[in-house]
Amino acid sequence: MCDHGSHRAAGNRRGEIVKTGCSIFIAAFIALGLSWCGLVLGPAAQLGTLGQTNILNSSEIYPIQRTGDATVGLQVYRAYGCAACHTTQVGQDGMICDVVLSGTNPPAVSALLSSLTLTNLTKEQADAVSAQISAKGGKTETHIFATGADISRGWGMRHSVAEDFLWDNPVQLGGVRVGPDLSNVGMRYDAAWEFKHLYEPKSAVNNSAMPSFKFLFEKDGTPTEDAKNLVAYLLSLRADVPLHDAPFSTLAPVAGTKK
Amino acid sequence: MSNDSKTDLPTTQGSSSEGSTVPIWIFALLLLILFFGGVYFDRNSGWFDAQVYAPYKTGEQLEAYQPVSGAAAMMLTGQKVYGSICAACHGDNGQGKPGQAPPLAGSEVVNDANFKRVASVPQLGLNGQVQVAGQSWNLQMAPMGAALSDSDFAAVLTYIRASWGNKASDVSASDVKAFRATIAGKPAVNGEEGLKAIK
Repeated sequence: MCDHGSHRAAGNRRGEIVKTGCSIFIAAFIALGLSWCGLVLGPAAQLGTLGQTNILNSSEIYPIQRTGDATVGLQVYRAYGCAACHTTQVGQDGMICDVVLSGTNPPAVSALLSSLTLTNLTKEQADAVSAQISAKGGKTETHIFATGADISRGWGMRHSVAEDFLWDNPVQLGGVRVGPDLSNVGMRYDAAWEFKHLYEPKSAVNNSAMPSFKFLFEKDGTPTEDAKNLVAYLLSLRADVPLHDAPFSTLAPVAGTKK
Repeated sequence: MSNDSKTDLPTTQGSSSEGSTVPIWIFALLLLILFFGGVYFDRNSGWFDAQVYAPYKTGEQLEAYQPVSGAAAMMLTGQKVYGSICAACHGDNGQGKPGQAPPLAGSEVVNDANFKRVASVPQLGLNGQVQVAGQSWNLQMAPMGAALSDSDFAAVLTYIRASWGNKASDVSASDVKAFRATIAGKPAVNGEEGLKAIK
């Protein structure tokens, strides 16, 4: 690694120091350089140019930038450490398909149906069933749904993807779920509920472990700007659209389907 | 590293000192294991594709699980475009609004085998007297669809031509592109005669 010749020529302790110092520098450079490549350069190359994308089967784009008050609300969310107890990331364990008949179907299909399972299928099974039905002249659609513990809790319809956090700076992923996940909290409640819950959590949710945020309200119960911005941010949390990297059907699942 | 001490030692002991170093093939084996570990890890993480998230394993699997494609996707896109642009006047179900816009459901122009007639209306706009579903309409329509992309335009045409009891053929994006090239810069369609003149 180091210049051997100079060491031989010097033949004293100076050469030793040069050699060790040089080795330490190179070793440290490689170690830090590699971790920089892996932790900074790689992710930046992959997601640094991430932009808005089209919602699946739609010309609308996602995500739309938050309104001003919601953007300020993110900083309120951050300042009060909401991410210490709430996550904004939904996990997904799997996906299921339902085959749904569309349009009118000939009697041959009705006869076939009793022998077929149409729900809780994998994509391969769904394709096979669709092929069987269309061979008899029937028309089908395959509906796809995400499954998982978080999704069955009603915290979302799909796993979280990088696009969901496009306008968040900093991203407030959170790691501990003392309270529920908030990825889709904007879909679940309205502003009145949010204010009531912030003011006195136990009045809205039984046995809530959340501390009261009464200090965000005036003495007469009027919400301060902080409270309004925070609620605007919470209501803007809606990761409810299908994307290419998180596909699902926006239609209602067939009755009896395990979701 | 051991060069210094080695030079101080008698040469006869050189070989035994060398024998105690880690053989080179261990390094080669470790590198090989590391490489295969990396490949295995990569393969089960969708090759580190930024679009592939668990539980999806590969890009192909993700493609397979896209809800609808082809004709069904086109109808959905068409429905979205219709809802955002056309529905305000022509109604959610293409029923039209008296004094504002004629119906699309059962309209002769929409159901015309030649899609260019119906396409010319949102592309160029419409003036004058037209006959729709047994009723005469004398209204104006701005070129509402002129700014749509070819694929969105094709989707909304396909949608209105196959919904609410209409049963006309699908329109593809390439059809729209060719059609737009032929009528670029023309004035608004003028009444029934103007529509009939489009071939």
